[in-house]
Amino acid sequence: MTDIRKSGQARTSSGESGTIRVAGGEREMVLDTLGSAPQMRSPAVVPAAPYPIEARVPEVRQQTPAVGQRAPRPDARLHGLGQTRYIDDLSFPGMLYARIKRAGIASARIVRVDTRAAEALPGVAAVLTGRDIPVNSFGPTYQDQPVLADERVFHAGDGVAAVAAVSEEIAREALDRIEVEYEPLPAVFDPLEAMGEDAPKVHPPHGNVYARKTIRKGDLEAGFAASDRIFEGTFRSQMVEHVSIEPHCAIAEWDANGRVTIWCTVGRITLARADLARTLRLPLNRVRMIGTIVGGNFGGKNEITQEPVLALLSKKTGRPVKGVYTRGEEFVATTTRHPIIMEYRTGVTKDGRILARKVRLVLDGGAYCSWSETTLGKAAILASGPYRIDNLLVEACAVYTNKTMTGAMRGFGAPQVCFAYESHMDDIAAALGIDPLEIRLRNAFVEGSLSPTGQALNSVVVKESLLQAAQRFGWKGCEA
Amino acid sequence: MKRRGRGIACMWYPIGFTVAANPSAATVKVNEDGTATLLTGTVETGQGSLTVLGQIAAEALGIATEDVHVVSADTDATPMDTGAIASRTTYVTGNAIRLAAEKAKAILFEIAASVMGVRADQLEARDRRIVVKGFPQRGLSIAEVAHRAQVVMGEPPIGTASWNPPTVALDPETGQGKPFSTYVYATQIAEVEVDDETGEVEVLRIVAAHDCGTPINPMLVEGQVEGGISMGVGFALQEQILFDPAGRQINPNLTNYIVPTSLDMPEIEVDIVQSYDATGPFGAKGVGEPTSVPTAAAILNAIHDAVGVRITSLPATAEKVLAAVKQKRCRKRLIPEQ
Repeated sequence: MTDIRKSGQARTSSGESGTIRVAGGEREMVLDTLGSAPQMRSPAVVPAAPYPIEARVPEVRQQTPAVGQRAPRPDARLHGLGQTRYIDDLSFPGMLYARIKRAGIASARIVRVDTRAAEALPGVAAVLTGRDIPVNSFGPTYQDQPVLADERVFHAGDGVAAVAAVSEEIAREALDRIEVEYEPLPAVFDPLEAMGEDAPKVHPPHGNVYARKTIRKGDLEAGFAASDRIFEGTFRSQMVEHVSIEPHCAIAEWDANGRVTIWCTVGRITLARADLARTLRLPLNRVRMIGTIVGGNFGGKNEITQEPVLALLSKKTGRPVKGVYTRGEEFVATTTRHPIIMEYRTGVTKDGRILARKVRLVLDGGAYCSWSETTLGKAAILASGPYRIDNLLVEACAVYTNKTMTGAMRGFGAPQVCFAYESHMDDIAAALGIDPLEIRLRNAFVEGSLSPTGQALNSVVVKESLLQAAQRFGWKGCEA
Repeated sequence: MKRRGRGIACMWYPIGFTVAANPSAATVKVNEDGTATLLTGTVETGQGSLTVLGQIAAEALGIATEDVHVVSADTDATPMDTGAIASRTTYVTGNAIRLAAEKAKAILFEIAASVMGVRADQLEARDRRIVVKGFPQRGLSIAEVAHRAQVVMGEPPIGTASWNPPTVALDPETGQGKPFSTYVYATQIAEVEVDDETGEVEVLRIVAAHDCGTPINPMLVEGQVEGGISMGVGFALQEQILFDPAGRQINPNLTNYIVPTSLDMPEIEVDIVQSYDATGPFGAKGVGEPTSVPTAAAILNAIHDAVGVRITSLPATAEKVLAAVKQKRCRKRLIPEQ
C-alpha cells in the first residue's frame, strides 16, 4: 500500500498527473487517483482496467466440429473480470426502490390496511396493496396465489403491501408505518394433519388435498403373493431453499405509451410474460420481458414474484422501479423444495429380483400449488426407481399447508424419492446378503424396458453407469 | 472413532415437461461473412446453456463455436421458449436450433450447388466450408456462399424452426402413457467418514457416472455434475428450513441455514457414460437436474455402511446420526447373551 502511494506520488510529481501505474501481470493497470488530492487512497474496488478489444480467445472455441469441444463460456471472461452486469448493477435515471411488507402471520383475515402514514413519509412515491392489482392471482398450474394478499393471508411470507421510494432505506422505513390489522384464523402445518377431515382448510372451500397421481401396472397382490420376502420402509425429506447467490431481482418501467418493460431474473420469460400480462390485464404485445444474466436459478426463478408489483408501482409513479429481495425474503417468500413422506413396500425373490412394489407419497405443498402438480407427477413416475418392476402401485398426493410454498427445484421430487428407493434397496440387499451393486444390476432397466407408465425406454444406460462408477470408485469386486 | 463407509445410488430422470407441451422456437441467421447469429428465447441462468446452444448451431452449420453469437431472452426480439426448466434446454431448444440452422443451411446449399454444378443433396458443411460429400477438395467457403446468397442472389440465409417433445397423455386411472420423450440415467458412489462420538459426517469422495446422451460440451457437463453434487451434499447433511409452532421460519438466513461451502465439498470424479439418443440434437439429452438426484441417497447409504444406522429422514445432521448410533448401542446391550 505504502509503495503504491510512493510510486504514485513520484509519478504525479514527474508530470503524469491524475494516474498511478501499477505493474500487474502482463499489463499495467491505470488507477484513478482522485485528481491531485495529496492524500491518495487506494479505492476499495479497483476499477476495471482497460483490456484489449481483441479478446484473447482460447483456441478451442475456434475449432470444428463444434460439438464435443470443451469450449469456454463467452460469459466466463466477464465473470472473471467482474464485469458481468446483474440486474442490481443496472440503474436508470429517476429510478425508485420497492420493498414489500410481509405478513409474519401464517393464517389470517386481513381486516384493515392503513397506508396513510407510509404515504406521508417524505421520499415515498407510491404505496400499493392487493386491491390495486387488476387480477390479483397467479400460478403456473392453479392461479391460487395472490400477488399481494388482500383478503386473507395463507402463509407468513405473503406480501400485504408494497412501497416505492427514492431510497431502499426510506422504502423500508415506510413499511414499518403501514398498519395491517389481522384476524387470526386456524392454521395447519403438518401435511398428514392437513389431510384430515376436520383440518382447517387452507383455501376454503377447497379441500387441502389438491392434486393426486396414481400409477398402476400389473397385479400388485399377485406380485406380493409370489414374493419370498416383503420389506417396508418409511422415509421423510425436509424443506430446503435453492439459495441462489443472486436473489430475485427486477426493474419495471411503464412508459407513456402504456407499454411495460421488465428486466428480471426469471428463467422462463415467455411464460412469465403471459402470467404478468394476466395480472395486469394487458395484451401480451404491451409487455416486454428481458432476461439478464441470472446468478443461479435451480428452479427457484421459474415464476413471477414481485414483477406485477413493480410494474404497477412504475405505472403509479411514472418512474422505473427496482426490487431486490433480501436473503430473508428468498427463504420466506419464494418457493422451496417439497418435504415428502414416502412409504415403500416391496416384494422380492430371495435372489433379490423385485416382483412387486407399492409406494405412497404425500407432498407438503405449502400454501400454494406453484409447480407442485408437476413435482407430484415426476415424483410418482420416478418413485419406483430405474428398475424393472412388473407389479406396481404408486399413490401420491399434494397437500396444502399454511407454510412457505413449495415449487420447482432441481429434480422436481426426484432427489426425495431417490433417497427413499435407494435406501430401501440397500436395506433389502443387506437383509438378503446381496451386494448393493449386484442387486441393482439384477433389477435395472435395460434397453426397451417398460417404464412404470408403460413407455418403452430407449438409450438406457443404468447398468453401464453402475459399472462405470463402480470401476472408477474401486467398488469391491469391480476394481479396475 | 472415525469410521468409513461407501454407498451407491442410481437414478433415472426425464427430460422436459410431464406430458404438457413445452416447445422451443429458434432463428438462425448466417451473416455475409459466414458467421452466424442465433436468436433464442431461453435464459442463461448460469448453467452455460447459451454456450451449448451456440455449439449446436455451429455444428449444424459446419462452423466453429466462436463463429456463432447468441442473442437470448428478450420477448420483443427472440422467439418463444419454454425456458430454463426441466433439464430441457439442450434437448428441446437444441432441437429447435438444429432445425433452424438446417433451414438456413439449405438456402446456402442451393446456392453452392448451382455454383459448383452439383445437386444440393450431394453437399455437406464442415470446417467452415461447403464441400461435395466424399470429395472435399471441391468446395466453397461458407463465407463466400453466404455473401453470394445475400448480396448477389437476394436470398439471405435465415432459418426459423420450433420443436416440442412428443408425449402421450397419462390415463387418469392407471397413469399409463408416455409422459416424456426421453430419460437420462446415472450412478453416484460416495465415500464418507462418520465420527461415531460426535455423529459428524464428512463426505470424502464421490464418483459420479452420468448419462447425458452426446456431451455437447464435456466441460460444462462436468461443471453441472460438480454443482449438482454440492446441492446434494447440503440436502443430505445440512440444509433444512425450520418453523416455529406458529408456522414462521426460524432460520431464514445463511447463518442458521447451513449450505455447503467449498470446505464441505468432497473430491469429485466425473465420468460421462457413453450414450446416444437419436431424438436429441446430435444425440444429446440433458444433464442439469439429475446431477443432484442420487447424491443424498449415496451419502445416506454410505453412512449406513460406516456405522450401521439407517437414517430415514433428511438431513442426516450430526445430532441425528449420533442419536441413532447411541440408540443402536443401547439395543446391543439389551440383547441377551446367547
